[in-house]
Amino acid sequence: MPLTTRGREILSRVPGGVLHSTTGVGCEIVRHEELCVGCGKCATNCPSGASQRGDLFDVGQLLDAPADSRRGALGGALRRIMRHAPDGPVEVPPRVTTYRTVVYDDEKCLGCGTCARGCPTEAIEARPPKADAAPATAAVPAHATSAVEVRA
Amino acid sequence: MAAAERRSADERSVVAFCCRECAYAAADASANARTSLPPTVRLVLMPCTGRVSPLHMLSALAEGADGVMVAGCLEGQCHYREGNFNAIDRVAFVQRLLRSVGVEPERCRMFTMSAGEPLKFVAAVKEMDRVIGALPLLERSDVAKAVA
Repeated sequence: MPLTTRGREILSRVPGGVLHSTTGVGCEIVRHEELCVGCGKCATNCPSGASQRGDLFDVGQLLDAPADSRRGALGGALRRIMRHAPDGPVEVPPRVTTYRTVVYDDEKCLGCGTCARGCPTEAIEARPPKADAAPATAAVPAHATSAVEVRA
Repeated sequence: MAAAERRSADERSVVAFCCRECAYAAADASANARTSLPPTVRLVLMPCTGRVSPLHMLSALAEGADGVMVAGCLEGQCHYREGNFNAIDRVAFVQRLLRSVGVEPERCRMFTMSAGEPLKFVAAVKEMDRVIGALPLLERSDVAKAVA
């Protein structure tokens, strides 16, 4: 489990500081890209820099979004006029703030679940660690088990 | 209405989202001067071009417009400071979306003018009408209707 950015910075200031072991909450983070609105709150909240607002936007996200959402409305309009399937991600101009695909780096993730708690559209799900969750918590709905409860 | 029924060039339409402070005032002035606009254009009054979202532009295209123009203030003259810069980037974003699904990006375009330039507004509308007239009519599928 990697350190946070701040943790690495503090460790670098400790003379002779060596990393023995780190703790992590270790939730499994599942992102539902079709629900994501690209607001970047997860990137703002993320302590380790695992989620970052990207400069590209995957057009397929619009087409996959649920029809009653704002993105779904845009996708529905696009679906009516499109001549072929999207070519791939498009570059987003700097002043377009919401239509972005969040870049998520599994390697850096601590599994703390902060992103899931801050997500306005519940596009991120923090599932409890596999080892703890094997038989007993299988019946508990994933959204009812926050990272804090798993730790306690 | 099926796209094939709308073959006549008279039936093409351009939706112009106009900023209240400049482009709409310019349109007003051009009407006072009895300058005629192409009959294809439909003006939509907006408080600022910064209010125009990608959803407005794409819905207009999906619901029957063949082209969308956004007419706002000159760069640096927005009454809300930076609304037209936001609009410029959103138009660029919509153009990229259109290109990625195989639709001509020229169908969406940004123009800037000041309130005292009615002739520039008329020229912009005519230019847009000429560009859209040269393109084939936009074909629409009814897939979205089934979903919505």
